[in-house]
Amino acid sequence: MTGSKESFISNFKAPENSRGLRSQGDQYLVDLPVPGRRSERWKYSPISKLLNTSLNTCSGEGVVWPEEILPDPVPFLDSYRLVFRNGHYVSSLSDMPIDDDVICMPLSEVGAEFTNDYHKREWVGAMNAAYHQDGLFLKVSKNVSLDRPVVIHHLTDGADIAALPRHYIELEEGAGAEVVVWSSASEKSSGMCNGILEANVSSNAYLRVDKICNEAGEIFKFSHEYIKQERDSRVKINTFTIKGHWVRNELEIVANGPGTDSTFNGAYLPTGTEHVDNHTVMDHAYPNGTSSELYRGIMYDKSTGVFNGKVFVRKDAQQTNAFQQNSNIVADKGATINAKPELEIYADDVKCSHGCTVGQFDKEALFYLKSRGIGSDEAKALLVKAYVGDVISSVDREEVRNEILRLYSERHGWA
Amino acid sequence: MSQTEEDKLLNEVTGKSYEFGFTTDIESDTIAPGLNEDVIREISAKKNEPEWMLEWRLAAFKIWSEMEEPEWAHLEYPKPDLQAISYYSAPKKKTELKSLDEVDPELRKTMEKLGISLEEQKRLSGVAVDFVMDSVSVATSFKDKLAELGVIFCSLSEAIQEHPELVKKYIGTVVPQRDNYYAALNSAVFTDGSFCYIPKGVRCPMELSTYFRINEAGTGQFERTLLIADEGSYVSYLEGCTAPQRDENQLHAAVVEIVSLDDAEVKYSTVQNWYPGDEKGKGGVYNFVTKRGICYKRSKISWTQVETGSAVTWKYPSCILKGDDSIGEFFSVAVTNNMQQADTGTKMIHLGKRSRSTIISKGISAGNSQNSYRGLVKIHPGATNARNFSVCDSLLMSSTCGAHTFPYIEASNPTAKIEHEATTSKIGEDQIFYCQQRGIDEEEAIGLIVKGYAKEVLNKLPMEFAVEAQKLLTISLEGSVG
Amino acid sequence: MLKIKNLHAQVGDTQILQGLNLEVGPGEVHAIMGPNGSGKSTLASVLSGRESYEVTDGSVDFDGVDLLEMDASDRAREGLFLAFQYPVEIPGVSNMNFMKAAINGKRAHQGLDPIKGTDFLQKVKDCASLVELDGRLRDRSVNEGFSGGEKKRNEIFQMAMLEPKLAVLDETDSGLDIDALRVVSQGVNAMRNSDRSFIVITHYQRLLDHIVPDYVHVLSEGKIVKSGGKELALELEEKGYDWI
Ligand SMILES: Nc1ncnc2c1ncn2[C@@H]1O[C@H](COP(=O)(O)OP(=O)(O)OP(=O)(O)O)[C@@H](O)[C@H]1O
Ligand SMILES: [Mg+2]
Repeated sequence: MTGSKESFISNFKAPENSRGLRSQGDQYLVDLPVPGRRSERWKYSPISKLLNTSLNTCSGEGVVWPEEILPDPVPFLDSYRLVFRNGHYVSSLSDMPIDDDVICMPLSEVGAEFTNDYHKREWVGAMNAAYHQDGLFLKVSKNVSLDRPVVIHHLTDGADIAALPRHYIELEEGAGAEVVVWSSASEKSSGMCNGILEANVSSNAYLRVDKICNEAGEIFKFSHEYIKQERDSRVKINTFTIKGHWVRNELEIVANGPGTDSTFNGAYLPTGTEHVDNHTVMDHAYPNGTSSELYRGIMYDKSTGVFNGKVFVRKDAQQTNAFQQNSNIVADKGATINAKPELEIYADDVKCSHGCTVGQFDKEALFYLKSRGIGSDEAKALLVKAYVGDVISSVDREEVRNEILRLYSERHGWA
Repeated sequence: MSQTEEDKLLNEVTGKSYEFGFTTDIESDTIAPGLNEDVIREISAKKNEPEWMLEWRLAAFKIWSEMEEPEWAHLEYPKPDLQAISYYSAPKKKTELKSLDEVDPELRKTMEKLGISLEEQKRLSGVAVDFVMDSVSVATSFKDKLAELGVIFCSLSEAIQEHPELVKKYIGTVVPQRDNYYAALNSAVFTDGSFCYIPKGVRCPMELSTYFRINEAGTGQFERTLLIADEGSYVSYLEGCTAPQRDENQLHAAVVEIVSLDDAEVKYSTVQNWYPGDEKGKGGVYNFVTKRGICYKRSKISWTQVETGSAVTWKYPSCILKGDDSIGEFFSVAVTNNMQQADTGTKMIHLGKRSRSTIISKGISAGNSQNSYRGLVKIHPGATNARNFSVCDSLLMSSTCGAHTFPYIEASNPTAKIEHEATTSKIGEDQIFYCQQRGIDEEEAIGLIVKGYAKEVLNKLPMEFAVEAQKLLTISLEGSVG
Repeated sequence: MLKIKNLHAQVGDTQILQGLNLEVGPGEVHAIMGPNGSGKSTLASVLSGRESYEVTDGSVDFDGVDLLEMDASDRAREGLFLAFQYPVEIPGVSNMNFMKAAINGKRAHQGLDPIKGTDFLQKVKDCASLVELDGRLRDRSVNEGFSGGEKKRNEIFQMAMLEPKLAVLDETDSGLDIDALRVVSQGVNAMRNSDRSFIVITHYQRLLDHIVPDYVHVLSEGKIVKSGGKELALELEEKGYDWI
């Protein structure tokens, strides 16, 4: 009986740790509906196709790392590294920080307390709660800044794989960390990668996350970040979808104290029949918060892009400044963008705005470039690069920036 | 502003009772509450309708019985008990009227209270008024003059009798029976409404106007309007609504269908001030309306609305831009105060090449109200070079109200150009002070600023309405800053 | 006309005016100069009744009435005018409607009927020509999209329309080119008479070349620290504020 939610998870096996969370997950898997077109949050990204497949979780044993993929996705970056394959930690390829003020280890070795309730709200979240395999556990002590970024590299490799990573980051007061979450998949892979990252950012701490999806094969990717910010903390999250068969990025930022600052940006350039969905929620519940969001996409061929950005300004969140901009280019016949920027505002002394556009490349600019002897394709590439470049430039580490740019260029033939 | 002053001002507004809250004592012919096939047969029979109309209603009823009330609007309200409503209420003394003098004196008084005494209208403004009182059109004017041009402007019941071919051809073509829960309900039980047909090439020389009132206690109002602008014609249509003050919630589920054939232009303007309930949120009208127009080649439909009333509003006047080079417009001012909730906006469905749409929405929220803009701009694959421009602004007048924006943008054509902007801000204290320093008091300053904020939309209203609309804005908001 | 005694005022917890004394007689022009942040605009705001400024001590007598007792619009109706340092834009409200509301507010206060349309239009014409205000600016929304100089010109136009007893001009000269400065000054000079007084706040002597003051005061740290005749301004221009 394929297609039912029970049959879909029937071959999943979970490790023994975090029993409490797993049993909650089991319960909500039963209680919650499978996301479908009738649900407001999933109407543009239904998953019935995935449900018709039969997937398996795999064990961590007998790992053969494919040759064509480097374990280190950002080769020139001086970083720590945790490598996962199909959800399992690969210690031989990893390099973790060792420091008295930093705890960094595979999640399976720690009993970490998660605070978010995503698994109680979404079936996909319940699945991760019940069957998650491993992930990063990172805790940085008060007033300590991690000296190098941590790269989490997740590889999906093989047919009909179900991979369910789960990461947890805790920054104490005044602490700082940079994390790169990179996911790859080998050419012949198929299945699902359902990952969750939770971060608690204490007062005056800062967190930067660059999330990159560069997956070959035919993976359904669910990737949810839940970030809780305390007073005066800063976060910056950049989400890049370079390649991915079907991708759903969800980012939820909850400002849990006054004076928070949140910046989050994203770019998506799907081709072929790729589907890329970016869902963001910014929840301002305290005064004097600032948020700024920029997402840009170009839909090529027969691809589909989805953007949904929600900004809440709760009753007490006076003096909030929230800014959101989403721009889209539908490049080819057959491509589609579904965008839904939303503002829900319950406080009066606020400045909030959103802008959303669908358009083409600037014809004037194109003409100008051509008139200088630049060929049509090259001119377009230049413009695209500039368009996406505005988002890429918000990545702080040059090495990461260059790698993202290199991969986009390779894929889209930018000079 | 200091707390006490704020309280004082708030009291003043909330203390302002609904100006049009009176009921008219006219004997009505009302059928027993409840809804089933027999009730529909009875309505149809009372109206002496042809068989095809009854069949159509029954089909709608069947569809409706299988539907569920929608949940997705940003609204919270107890679901109305649809079995407790009487689906037909007509003033009893209905005789053929030869002149306005024959109109029931009580009714005349009502009209006068509403400020639309027919004689006056007739004498002064050149507005033909089709006055809908609890669903049955009791008096129309200017018929003769319009008849000369071939313009048909009458009640829908009359049109069903006199022009069945037109009604049959167009009814349900823009808002099908199964469109949504309340449209299906309306299709089953509509009692009356206006019908309007403008023949080919005719520019209707006057603004056509209907005033709706919900009068009878416990009666839902299910009027249905069908407006057909034949090729190359033009019409401007005004709809104004008031409802008497009652404690229980009254349901109003209307349907408006507009067909704008090749090269035609329709302007549809609404000023809605149904009873919003008291400051505690008791009573008031539930306004669940489906309004939609279809534009054929080079034709244009322009919706303008000023919404200040109703306890709960759910309304999205929309345009299906089917023809090449067709144009859809939506201009809206929605004011909510006290406990009012409004979820309103538009849908622009682009099918035709080079179709264009413009959306200007200005929300104003005060008191404890919730005001949402919800809109859809959809560019279908065949709609080459379609354009949309949207601006949705929200003005917040209190720290306990909410202003929300939910635009949906769906584009499947590489030549589509869509620009959507939304801002939310507080009424500017600096602006108020600037006015005060020039000797304009706070109340008046707020009125000026709000009217200025809404001006782009108010300017789209025909003269007769603009004045009334401005007054309504001021009445609904006076002193509500805080 | 205006008697300010020992005025103390604060914004939030910050004390800005700290015992300011100033007397302005009918027909007099007083210039107030002083370093940035010394409290000049604050004085203007306090006089005109902006709510965020709290008077903690002192008194202000305006032609026999207690100014501090009145709310902002009543002060304006009693004949106090402030030309703002940063005039506000009010989108959608036409300059004309705005002025009409202002004039009728004042007339109602005086027990007069609203102004007649023809009288109003005549007045607009006269006052606009006084400051060479472009006809198109009159019909636009209040200050919306006006350049800095146009906004200042519009302030003086409004002053002419409202015929105040006392006008406080807060840096009306900043942002004006030479021609505009001349026009604005001419407008002010044309309005000078034996009953009407002016407080001119400025940083620059060049304005005082055009609008010649009877007295010059220096405001520093919330107090008048030096007063003198028009020569004082020249001296200040030459020697700077440190000299005091
Ligand atoms: N609303 C306010 N909130 C907090 N501080 C204020 C406020 N208004 C003024 N101040 C402070 O009060 C002081 C006096 O300001 P004011 O604007 O009166 O100076 P000014 O003399 O007009 O200066 P300028 O020459 O730059 O116009 C400054 O330090 C200013 O920062
Ligand atoms: Mg100043």
